[in-house]
Amino acid sequence: MSNGALAGVKVIDLTHHIAGPYATKLLADFGADVLKIERPGGDPARRLPPFYHDEPGSEKSLSFLYLNTNKRSITLNLKSEPGRSILMDLLADADAVVENFAPRVMPSLGLDLDTLRQHNPKLVIASVSNFGQTGPWRDFRATEIVEYALGGLMYIFGAYDREPLKHALHQAQFKAGTNLASGTLMALYHQRLTGQGQQVDVSIQESIASALRDVTNNYTYTGAVRRRQPNHTGDLTRLRAISDGYVLPNPGMGATLDWKVLVDFLEAPELDDERFDNASARLENAEALGDILDQIFAAKQKQEIFYAAHQKRFIYGVIDSPEETLDNPQIQARGYYVPVEHPDLGEITFPGAPFLMSGSPWAVTDAAPRLGEHTGAVLGDLGYSAQDLAWLRASEVI
Amino acid sequence: MAGPLEGVRIVEMGQLIAIPSAMKWMADMGAQVIRLESVQRLESYRTDSLYHNEVDGEFWNRGANFYEQNRNKLGLTLDLSRDEGREVLRDLIAVTDVFAENFTPRVIRNFGLEYADLCEIRPDIIMVSSTGYGFEGPWANFGATGPATEGAAGLAYITGYRDGGPVMSEIPFTDYTAGEHTVAAVMLALMHRLNTGQGQFIDVSQTQTCSATIPEALLDWTVNGRVPERIGNEDPAMSPHGCYPCAGDDRWIAIAVDSDEAWLGLCRVMGRADWAADARYADVLGRIRHRAELDKMLGFETRGHNNHELMSRLQAEGVAAGAVVDSEDLLFNEHLKERRFYEIVDHHEATGMPPLPYAGRPWKLSDTPSVPPKPAPIMGQHNRDILAGLLGRTDDDISALEEAQIIGYSPLSPRGVRRPSLDEQVRQGRMQRYDTDYATRVAEWFGTGQ
Repeated sequence: MSNGALAGVKVIDLTHHIAGPYATKLLADFGADVLKIERPGGDPARRLPPFYHDEPGSEKSLSFLYLNTNKRSITLNLKSEPGRSILMDLLADADAVVENFAPRVMPSLGLDLDTLRQHNPKLVIASVSNFGQTGPWRDFRATEIVEYALGGLMYIFGAYDREPLKHALHQAQFKAGTNLASGTLMALYHQRLTGQGQQVDVSIQESIASALRDVTNNYTYTGAVRRRQPNHTGDLTRLRAISDGYVLPNPGMGATLDWKVLVDFLEAPELDDERFDNASARLENAEALGDILDQIFAAKQKQEIFYAAHQKRFIYGVIDSPEETLDNPQIQARGYYVPVEHPDLGEITFPGAPFLMSGSPWAVTDAAPRLGEHTGAVLGDLGYSAQDLAWLRASEVI
Repeated sequence: MAGPLEGVRIVEMGQLIAIPSAMKWMADMGAQVIRLESVQRLESYRTDSLYHNEVDGEFWNRGANFYEQNRNKLGLTLDLSRDEGREVLRDLIAVTDVFAENFTPRVIRNFGLEYADLCEIRPDIIMVSSTGYGFEGPWANFGATGPATEGAAGLAYITGYRDGGPVMSEIPFTDYTAGEHTVAAVMLALMHRLNTGQGQFIDVSQTQTCSATIPEALLDWTVNGRVPERIGNEDPAMSPHGCYPCAGDDRWIAIAVDSDEAWLGLCRVMGRADWAADARYADVLGRIRHRAELDKMLGFETRGHNNHELMSRLQAEGVAAGAVVDSEDLLFNEHLKERRFYEIVDHHEATGMPPLPYAGRPWKLSDTPSVPPKPAPIMGQHNRDILAGLLGRTDDDISALEEAQIIGYSPLSPRGVRRPSLDEQVRQGRMQRYDTDYATRVAEWFGTGQ
């Protein structure tokens, strides 16, 4: 048995795509026994790019391989009566079931809350969906960009005079997945203390709307509606292009800023000017200041200015490409990237532990499962014979 | 029913968002969170975004971001630079389950608050440190902001318009990513403690928690040697997919066409039977090939529509679409209202602030939902409750601590806050617009009276 924090916790995983699988990955990588139940065609994430060496195939999606470490996989057609009955057997002694179907799907499969809670009163029933399990928008359709728009993050994201923007990739899905893991863990904690299960309802929209700053509270406190910020505001902490990339300057916060120190640090006597030496003057002359700063930074070099800044405790940041993150000495020293051995593909370098736990560490012991890899073994444990399995396969239940 | 974390006590030495947001969510769920601050050093969130933009009086008790991040916590002021302050903290640690902090390791070492130090007082303590780059390693003592870790993790580099440089969110986005993972981490540690009786040290690097959420890009590099290009709002597998202008000032709609049926639905709503009939756009490959012209055509059509009405009509036809909501839209949203996402919190009478709505939590637990919301503490609000009630200090002890300014009730040197007027902020382009009747509108929508 694993020595992870969740040793002995049994999770039935009905999730697909990104948000749900990230939640169960977090549980599995910290020791839970996660059994992934895939539709006969497999989790659609098996078809998500990018692919291993650009070769498409249900075992080669890099997203899928990342999101499903340490899980076992069986296939099950939940629309069939025998499929549902096998699922109910599996749920009988499970601690949690996690799903991310559209909210009307579980009840339509006969897997409504009441049925599940009656079947196993200690079961934690955890769901993540676009807009939650209730409310007038429950059945609205959404993808990542729609969640950015309706969660309130998109309107304030991007260039002042252009269309609002979203982050690259799938931040809303990962955010909601993380929150689903937390909500599930809280319910599991309660279950351990009381023996009672319950429902956990995570909304992707609310995951975005829970994690904003100066948006609704700007309105409730002052009536103001915030927007995407203009380029030149006299703000000294905006991202700047430099000779070999980009850097995020930060010369000390607000009133602690000593202008002379900054002028010296940037070796920029042209900034030693009363148009710039206090906050209101900088606001007044924002355009001119912005132009000068652009020129000054264009001549700088990333590593050099970053380390020089931290010598002075200016909290500069680097903008690194995915490639550069592997060369970052801090990320290396912490052993963040780890090799994971895949039985067919060999060794792959994966992003590793999101956080370090001294007593119950993160570990990937098994690569993501092949589609239905554990169907025989799991059904065998439930008492199905080889003959039964043949019949179930023939009738497309598994 | 009480929250699931009833009986868990947390001492928080947090600042800004990364740790405070995580501990707020745990406080919502029933944990008793004692938040430390000091009268010597005023946290900037106490002075940002003040109620009514009024900078007089005890303004440090009217900061929006402080209230947003510290709901349901108890407040204790403590000067940890002196022995008497650290002694109080040691007594507190002895009766605490979790110690959570997000200062640099240098500060924690100076105060003698490393995990090993805490274990001597409370062997089964759980300690969580959240730092920009991690508690150990060559960059451990480098301070960081949210945007800095968004950069170091690889997220900022791959985000941006197709023809431009990296763009990052204008909020401390990765602070929240770290906070969300921190809740999971502390819950894992609490589960482990239930099983084994053991505490542990959790080292959260805000860079790593962010990198964990962009595996597609990182693995594309480690496996295929490719760094993804910046593609703005495009999606490699969908078209049209983007953000399109609508009627009004700075109004937009996000549309994602993820199937042929959705494409036909879009054509119906836009009244463009000719698009639906055009063989070039009939399948996703064709629509991707003609992405640029479709985006242009669609943007021309959306321009005359109200973004909320258009969203409703598109959703009715099965098209994934969402108005790009601003602060006001989000706050006065029917769906979130029915789900009771925003929670009304009363404020201490000394602040003169009415009850106000605050964003709730990203999860809803059916049987153990959350505790009734209480506001973030005004400065030093629970000093006496904690010192006398929890630690058994006498009145004389407490007076001596007050006398020595180890504890206190207002900042020793409050710096004046200067806020540009709203007109000025609109002129600078920082704000889109402002309402003057917002207090009434908020009170009416949320039924809090005036």
